[in-house]
Amino acid sequence: MISALVLCWMDAAVVTGAVVVPLAFIAGPFYIDDESLYKTVPISLIGYAVAIAMAYPVTAWAGARAAMARAILAPRSSDADQRLVEVTRSRARLVDAFEVERRRIERDLHDGAQQRLVALSMQLGLARLELPPGSPAAAPLDAAHELARQALTELRELIRGVHPKILTDRGLAAAVRDVAGTAPVPVEVDLRLPGRLGATIEVTAYFVVVEALANMAKHSGATRASVTGGLSGGRLLLDIRDDGHGGADPARGSGLVGLADRVAAVDGSVALSSPAGGPTLLHVEIPCGS
Amino acid sequence: MRVVIAEDGVIVREGIAGMLRRFGHEVVAAVGDATSLRAAVSEHRPDVVVTDVRMPPGFSDEGLQAAIALRAADPDLPVLVLSQYVEQTYAAELLDSGRSAGVGYLLKDRIGEVTEFVDALEQVAAGRTVVDPEVVRQLLGRRRDPLARLTPREREVLGLMAEGRSNTAIARTLVVTEAAVAKHIGNLLAKLELPPDADDHRRVRAVLAYLRD
Repeated sequence: MISALVLCWMDAAVVTGAVVVPLAFIAGPFYIDDESLYKTVPISLIGYAVAIAMAYPVTAWAGARAAMARAILAPRSSDADQRLVEVTRSRARLVDAFEVERRRIERDLHDGAQQRLVALSMQLGLARLELPPGSPAAAPLDAAHELARQALTELRELIRGVHPKILTDRGLAAAVRDVAGTAPVPVEVDLRLPGRLGATIEVTAYFVVVEALANMAKHSGATRASVTGGLSGGRLLLDIRDDGHGGADPARGSGLVGLADRVAAVDGSVALSSPAGGPTLLHVEIPCGS
Repeated sequence: MRVVIAEDGVIVREGIAGMLRRFGHEVVAAVGDATSLRAAVSEHRPDVVVTDVRMPPGFSDEGLQAAIALRAADPDLPVLVLSQYVEQTYAAELLDSGRSAGVGYLLKDRIGEVTEFVDALEQVAAGRTVVDPEVVRQLLGRRRDPLARLTPREREVLGLMAEGRSNTAIARTLVVTEAAVAKHIGNLLAKLELPPDADDHRRVRAVLAYLRD
């Protein structure tokens, strides 16, 4: 309030100095009748000079007022930056927390259910051996054994979907080769990585590849695919291609959107090229800096 | 056959021990970590070792590393490695270890196929090479073009070869004569431009190496 009042007077002072005084001098010859023209005309000329000279202070004052206005009206930049940093950190913490949870689940499944199923399968196999030939128990035992086998396979796939052990043990390239080997079409893998990347980056990249290959298998009708990539300029670059009929659309199905979210959570980016008729290319970039 | 078992999961470890005893083999030691494995092997000098890839304390590939180290110290020691999942690199590292044969890489799921598992163990103890069919299947699925030159029968034979089976075993599985198997193998090795090799173990390694590239 006080500053507004003071500004008002200061504005008035500037306007007076810049406008009124020169005008007074310039108009001198016209309304000062009791002095000779020899006096008033030079004063008028001085008025012109003052008017021109006042341009500089007036402009400076206008600039200062504009800066004041911006400072008062604009949001405080330091506040906004801080909020953004906190949101980013909290999102990263969430991603990490999910990862920790997934590893726990994988470990529990492996140490618990998977073990018991293997042991169950063993016992069923042994029991089958003890049956005398032609026993009526043979058929149900065989059926039970087959069910145990299928449960084991599904559990193994489930664990891989939750958190693949091979990713932790051997890194991204090995895990991608592993999952590529399970695809229904040949998938060429060429990943040039100098060593391990951060855990979050490897997990994100891995699940991007898994999702992309799953989409390819389900929707594209491709006959072959490739996963290529490497490090460049501190970023992990991945290209997942297939020769299918294209038309991949993030709006249909949440897989691609979820994939983009995952990548965004680690400050990466995803670009999709999938014209109708194919081929499809998914390009992923993830920064690998500290 | 005197066997040392290394497996950190108690239930599975006891299950394998029971299974082997039922087949008349002697379990001289059953341990739960890589250090105990090395100690047990040097103490008991078994005929064959069965070990999980993954073991304490790190739970990454301690068992595999122990197996490779054991074969470095005693290159003819037969070792069968059980793995939770298909990892081509593990199979390759294992096959390259030791002097030659007497090495096997199976998925843990395979334990449930009781007769096949014990048979595989006996094969490894006898000095042959055994590779899990799932590993081979994934490898075969990856390479299309050169394999497209093979006939379906030749592909079957290739798969069985990569699993480490002898010509006799392949003939039995496919219900053909051994002579037919030998002819198929000759043809497919020529089409893939692989050298003919009398040694089954080197043959398996060559095929797997070829498929992995």
